[in-house]
Amino acid sequence: MTSAIDDLKDSLHPKLREVLEKRGFDEFSEIQMRAVPTLITGINAILIAPTGTGKTESALLPVFHQMLTKPCQNGFTALYITPLRSLNRDMMSRLEWWGAELGLRISVRHGDTTQNDRRKQATNPPDLLITTPESLQAMFMGKVLRKHLAGVRYVIVDEIHELAGGKRGTQLTVALERIAELAGEFQRIGISATVGNPELIGKFLCGKRPCTIVQVPVAKTLDLSVKFAGESFHGQTKLIEKCIDSHASTLVFTNTRSVAEAIGHALLPRGDTDVHHGSLSREVRVDAEDNFRAGKTRAMICTSSMELGIDIGQIDHVIQFNSPREVARLMQRTGRAGHQIHATSKGMILATGFDDILESMVIVNKAMANQPENTRPHMNAADVIANQIAALAVERGQIAIKKIEEIFSRSYCFHDAGPLIREVIAEMERHYLIRTEDDMVITKNRARKYLSLNLSMIADEKKSIIFDVVARKPVGTLDESFVISWISSGAVFVARGQVWRVLDIDEDRIMVEPAKNAKGELPSWEGEQIPVPFSVAMEVGRLRRLQNFEEYRADEKSVIFAEKILSDMKKNRSITATDQLIVLEDADEGVVINLCGGHKVNETIGRVLSILLSARYGTSVGIETNAYRILLRLPKFLRAPDVEEVLLSLEPEHIEGILTLALKKTALYKWKLVQIAKKFGAIDADADYEKISMNRLLELFDKTVIEREAFRELFFSSMDVEGAREVVTLLKTRRMGTKTSRLSIIGAEGLFTGRDIVVPPGEDQAIIESVKHRIDDQDVILACMHCKNWKSRTKVGRVPDQPQCPVCGARLVAVLKPYEEQAFTALKKKKLSTEEKEAETRMMRNANMVLSSGKKAIIALAGRGVGPESAARILNTFATGDNFYREILKAERNFVQTHRFWG
Amino acid sequence: MQPEFYADGPAVLIERQERTLVIADPHFGVEADLHRHGLHFQSATDARMSRLLTIIEQSDPDYLIVLGDLKHMIPYVTYQERIEMPEILRKIRKETNFRLAPGNHDTGLEHYLGKDELLPMNGALIDGTGYFHGHTIPAQELMGHLILCGHHHPVVNIYDDVGCSLRGTPGYLLAEIDPSAWGPVPANPTRILFVPAFYELAGGMDVRLIPGNNISPVANAIQNETAEVFLKDGTYVAPFTELRPDPMERT
Repeated sequence: MTSAIDDLKDSLHPKLREVLEKRGFDEFSEIQMRAVPTLITGINAILIAPTGTGKTESALLPVFHQMLTKPCQNGFTALYITPLRSLNRDMMSRLEWWGAELGLRISVRHGDTTQNDRRKQATNPPDLLITTPESLQAMFMGKVLRKHLAGVRYVIVDEIHELAGGKRGTQLTVALERIAELAGEFQRIGISATVGNPELIGKFLCGKRPCTIVQVPVAKTLDLSVKFAGESFHGQTKLIEKCIDSHASTLVFTNTRSVAEAIGHALLPRGDTDVHHGSLSREVRVDAEDNFRAGKTRAMICTSSMELGIDIGQIDHVIQFNSPREVARLMQRTGRAGHQIHATSKGMILATGFDDILESMVIVNKAMANQPENTRPHMNAADVIANQIAALAVERGQIAIKKIEEIFSRSYCFHDAGPLIREVIAEMERHYLIRTEDDMVITKNRARKYLSLNLSMIADEKKSIIFDVVARKPVGTLDESFVISWISSGAVFVARGQVWRVLDIDEDRIMVEPAKNAKGELPSWEGEQIPVPFSVAMEVGRLRRLQNFEEYRADEKSVIFAEKILSDMKKNRSITATDQLIVLEDADEGVVINLCGGHKVNETIGRVLSILLSARYGTSVGIETNAYRILLRLPKFLRAPDVEEVLLSLEPEHIEGILTLALKKTALYKWKLVQIAKKFGAIDADADYEKISMNRLLELFDKTVIEREAFRELFFSSMDVEGAREVVTLLKTRRMGTKTSRLSIIGAEGLFTGRDIVVPPGEDQAIIESVKHRIDDQDVILACMHCKNWKSRTKVGRVPDQPQCPVCGARLVAVLKPYEEQAFTALKKKKLSTEEKEAETRMMRNANMVLSSGKKAIIALAGRGVGPESAARILNTFATGDNFYREILKAERNFVQTHRFWG
Repeated sequence: MQPEFYADGPAVLIERQERTLVIADPHFGVEADLHRHGLHFQSATDARMSRLLTIIEQSDPDYLIVLGDLKHMIPYVTYQERIEMPEILRKIRKETNFRLAPGNHDTGLEHYLGKDELLPMNGALIDGTGYFHGHTIPAQELMGHLILCGHHHPVVNIYDDVGCSLRGTPGYLLAEIDPSAWGPVPANPTRILFVPAFYELAGGMDVRLIPGNNISPVANAIQNETAEVFLKDGTYVAPFTELRPDPMERT
């Protein structure tokens, strides 16, 4: 071993050797031992190894070596690209020392970089630039930076698995080819977490160029198990505490931010834990990282924000709270533990329910067997083509279509794009983003502005504030594309775990009230859920059928809990759905289809069934899905056997066509369509959609390449047509059966405790209470309309039933809104203007109403926008109790809906 | 008189002594304005025109009356409109007589129209039926008659047990207006037919929200008890007061 290390050191540039000595670098990890000699020869490679084993150094040492051996002074010599700014910062602080020692200039450039630093980078380019894919896109726009890019000899893409699955990565593959246009060929190095198909990551990075894979598997160092954490939150946090206490440092991963917050809150009294997730400000996150690294805290509760390789020092133990849903995710999260060389990574899943336990068992087994999911890149994404053509047109002013085709054909993601590129060009021309002449694409005035607003393939959108008019406070924010495709007056949607109904849309506010009975397809806008893959869900079905729990790595309590549920099912004469059986159950709200298909397959089959049922029976059908069940909300006359009949009539080859029809009307499709239309320059990033029917506008994309891309992406990312076809084929060939039954405990799990479905709490009562509270608390001005000499500010709740003027003793007292105070004071003048006279009449009416109806009038008049006229209407309904408040709500709603026309 | 409905317009034909084809709010030239709002699309004037010409051919009218907002941009005439408008008018005139009840978007169109073609702002009574755009108080001579108007872009939402089964489809609202709203009470009731927009990108206003709305004097003067709702093909939906309410609405 020693000689191998010495050999390795000897192969390096003397200066680098010296610096390694200085740093006390006398041991190399496996990945470093294998990667450095490979990369030093200048060949392209993908490095795969667990986080924290020095992957960064294994890529950078050989690059540094080459930079020292063959110095080069023209522009940026090396680019280090990561998907996140926080990773950039982390990388910069790690590399600063190396740069200083080796005499190489290293710098960061991303969204947060100051103008001053940017200027410095332009006048005096660093040797190594750390950046993001989006900042790289921006660099192509500047003449000077383009010149610096022409010096690039090495490109390292960190966390490439994270980029490879999305359009950001697809765009990056084209950007790499654009660098090659400026700089000629360069060495490409990708750093990746464990994936099922490393060769594909290689193609993704290098296209047709040769690429070597250097892989140190994570699985052989993993030690994973499943523990049942009980059903009470208190018990669950106690168990987490126990785990934290028994290790020096622990990471606790949760699937959502809200769960991370809840656990963090419960552990707060300990004082040695921190929370880390994407909604927290950068300062808070950096503090948490520093505290953990310094050993000031012994546990960090985090979400996927900690998945990528930010260096936070030693981690002894990783806890995953609830099933991680994907094998690769579990491997990556737990792979962070026990870092240093030769140690195993200990990790534990705390499961909390039936689905959760079984799913965790399956995922742990697959992780131990080293079976992570495959990464799937987007192939021929038309919006990325459009975006990069516009970028090329702006970069060069004009460019031959043949050249464009050649550049794209070098990227793996577009190597067979063929006629698609010309189709995209024609569509862009129709939206006046570019023009063509003699087989050349020529930029137009708009293109530069378009590009500066569309550097990123991440949907970067305006936010609208959701404003609850009942509680009169903001609830959260919604993305613009969601607003335009779904939100209209009367629409219902889910946010913050509650159902809301839209009353009105302002310029940037959406006025809502809590909705009572939410029906139909409810769009939810809380972070996209991680889907459970088909293969995992099917194995869960198999485990339900074989009940071979002993073959899985779970504690006794998990197994007892799972067996109890299955035996209760038997006792209730319920039928358990498995990988060979679909069970359709009648519930009050509709029909539950128990299908172990995973999120995407269930979503696909659910949507196909819903459109067929809706066409056959002329009713609308609501749909909710999770990994193990589909709930179809149906009218009472449709029962499980009706749905079963439709399910059995499906043909595998019809799925795709039906799904296209089904998706076309959904908010999801419209949202995608808008996103893609923006990339084609048809809709500006800051477009104003008021006064037009977005639905009709979107019909203009029928049969265009924009529409095709929207479907391609939906089928690729949100649906699983192939899996759904497989299920239907299994049904046809009777390898899978169906049964109908009453609602079972497993079927109901998704309905009442589900992880994906939000159950609205008792809404109506809550609304009334909140209105009562608000009105009681509202400021009013009591004003004597008899002597006009007395006024007094108070709150509605404190006003007596019959207010009296303390000055003149009259009972003719008006109850005014604070903003009317001035108008009242003005009444004391001798001569009143017409407006003032009108105000007087209104206040007099108000006082008379208080005189005759007492407190009820006072409360009604305090409603938002309720004047004497609408107050009179409310009082005339003679409603009492809660109904009285409902009338006030109605009047307020009316005000909200119509006030914009008053001006 | 039974109006004849052309769903593909939407358009409606009124026949008494003469056959009068009526459309509302085509908003020709809207694309220039969409451009300014960040929506970049090619002119749909040709498609809109061919829709109109097909209906003219099918219905063979003596007149085409456009209930205002023939053009889109306020308060001037855009390049697109300058280029397209003469061609639009030429094609219509070739087929039938043309009348425009000017709307709030029709500023600057006078130059393009013949003297007879432009009706007064407050509407005109033609062959026993009143026509006006709908943003003003209708002229006195229209009172006591059936009046057709545009401006409101009415659409209908239909709800069923589970949710909204039809959203934002163009529809007609027919309603009597308060006889005492303007001037002397006429002998017959004044009924207004709110015609949906011919302009297919129109956002539209749910018919449930039109009566009592301050968007126009006529909307404000509607008497709900007599109001009725039709779809664009003339299908009678329901009396206004019996429209199935939005299920989310509290009772």
